[in-house]
Amino acid sequence: MSDEARIDRLARALEAILADPRASRPPADPELADLLRIAHDLHDLPRPAFKARLGADLLRRATMTTAVGKPAGETIEGVTAYLAVRPAVELIDFVKRAFGAQELMRTFGSGGGVHAEVRIGDSKLMIGGGGAWGGTPTPTGLHLYVPDADLIYGRALGAGAESLYAPVDQPYGDREAGVRDLAGNHWYIATHRSGGHVPAGLGTVTPFLHPRGAPELIDFLKQAFAAEEMETHRGPEGAIAHAKIRVGGSVIEMGEAHGEWGPMPTMFYLYVGDVDAWYRRALAAGAVSLEAPAVQPYGERRAAVRDAFDNQWYLAEPAASRSDPQ
Amino acid sequence: MTARSPAPATSPGNEDERLVIEAAKMDPRRFAELYEQNFDRVYAFVARRAGHRGEAEDVTAEVFHRALANLGRFEWRGAPFAAWLLQIASNALADRWQRAARERGEPSPETGDPRTHAEAERRALLAELVGRLPDDQQRVIRERFVEQKSIREIARELSRTEGAVKQLQFRALESLRAHMRDVNE
Repeated sequence: MSDEARIDRLARALEAILADPRASRPPADPELADLLRIAHDLHDLPRPAFKARLGADLLRRATMTTAVGKPAGETIEGVTAYLAVRPAVELIDFVKRAFGAQELMRTFGSGGGVHAEVRIGDSKLMIGGGGAWGGTPTPTGLHLYVPDADLIYGRALGAGAESLYAPVDQPYGDREAGVRDLAGNHWYIATHRSGGHVPAGLGTVTPFLHPRGAPELIDFLKQAFAAEEMETHRGPEGAIAHAKIRVGGSVIEMGEAHGEWGPMPTMFYLYVGDVDAWYRRALAAGAVSLEAPAVQPYGERRAAVRDAFDNQWYLAEPAASRSDPQ
Repeated sequence: MTARSPAPATSPGNEDERLVIEAAKMDPRRFAELYEQNFDRVYAFVARRAGHRGEAEDVTAEVFHRALANLGRFEWRGAPFAAWLLQIASNALADRWQRAARERGEPSPETGDPRTHAEAERRALLAELVGRLPDDQQRVIRERFVEQKSIREIARELSRTEGAVKQLQFRALESLRAHMRDVNE
């Protein structure tokens, strides 16, 4: 059999394996049996981004255990951006169509509001609100890493987003484009140019803030949520052009507000080891209370604070964990 | 680990591993080395048994978090550290299955078959070999098998013809087969 014929036969056989990877079947083509067996095993290959994220999370826990000398239960698990917007249902549809998001759950509150969780790549986002919801919308900036920024930029426009800027090669090594979705969120769609398409230490989606006073916000995050500065780059005037801040197992990026890139106060959801302790710590760092710790009907103990930059931080843990720390 | 190491997924020497474990008990940041050495085999072991990728990732994360939290209780008795991790993985999977089975009223499957450990080693080796493929082959393999993209989609993303992507896929699998054979011989 010629190489060309084998390449085509392999491609056809792989279609069948990928369509139903769990099915065990005798190899249809003895000449290709070895290759198909390997292909079958490749289905269980890990995602490099997952390995990097878990490694970073473990290191953070280990570091915190070493530095503070207390058990990892007292930590922040991760930070999820909560996009509270009026066209929530339309936004869920948009992230599915534009970015291949997977809807993990959707519920409706008694007041007619919607709450949903979606996964894009290795990252979770919460989307809530809806037409009947009367709160203040909190669209935000989000940094999205994809294998091909040009392609996803095109898909986002096709799904109804407006262009903020067309794909461009940035001096920091990313191919990057920007769009505004129908709810007002800014998506910075990027492909990292060296190594994998996601830079080490980041996930698929990272919230990106443009506060006025980035150093003060970073100080607040350190005091309130034990944040660590991973990287900070300053512009010629000394303003923070780009910083990566680790909060718990997650990262928040930011750059000082400038020009058309102004503040978009954001809502964050943090799963923590001890809501009451982190709530007190955030207040001591200068945050204002929005909600004192209380058990919610859906089984979480929750509190909320607002920082001086109008970002809202919801702190939550499973209600049962207060009486059973294991 | 050197790039040319002939058997990348095998454990380091027992004594070396014992020293790393002792160091990690004193300074948990050293756990990173144990993670690097064992991630692929734990993930391979879990992924084969999990229902879907999300569950495989959740269980793998649980295994390493449990291991880090309980490292102080690990006693060196000559068995590789990987065996302890796979035991934690078996327990984590069994817990999930028992919970699910109770809800559905079904028996839970067996997790402790020693043959499954050898299979995890083989898959871990495969994961490492993928990391050594040329960049374009590696990208095709990851997009095809991890991201589940079609040949057409990958061709568009790489600005290559579908034929060229099929060829990269073929060459990558040929190369993986040859290396797996080398290591097994």
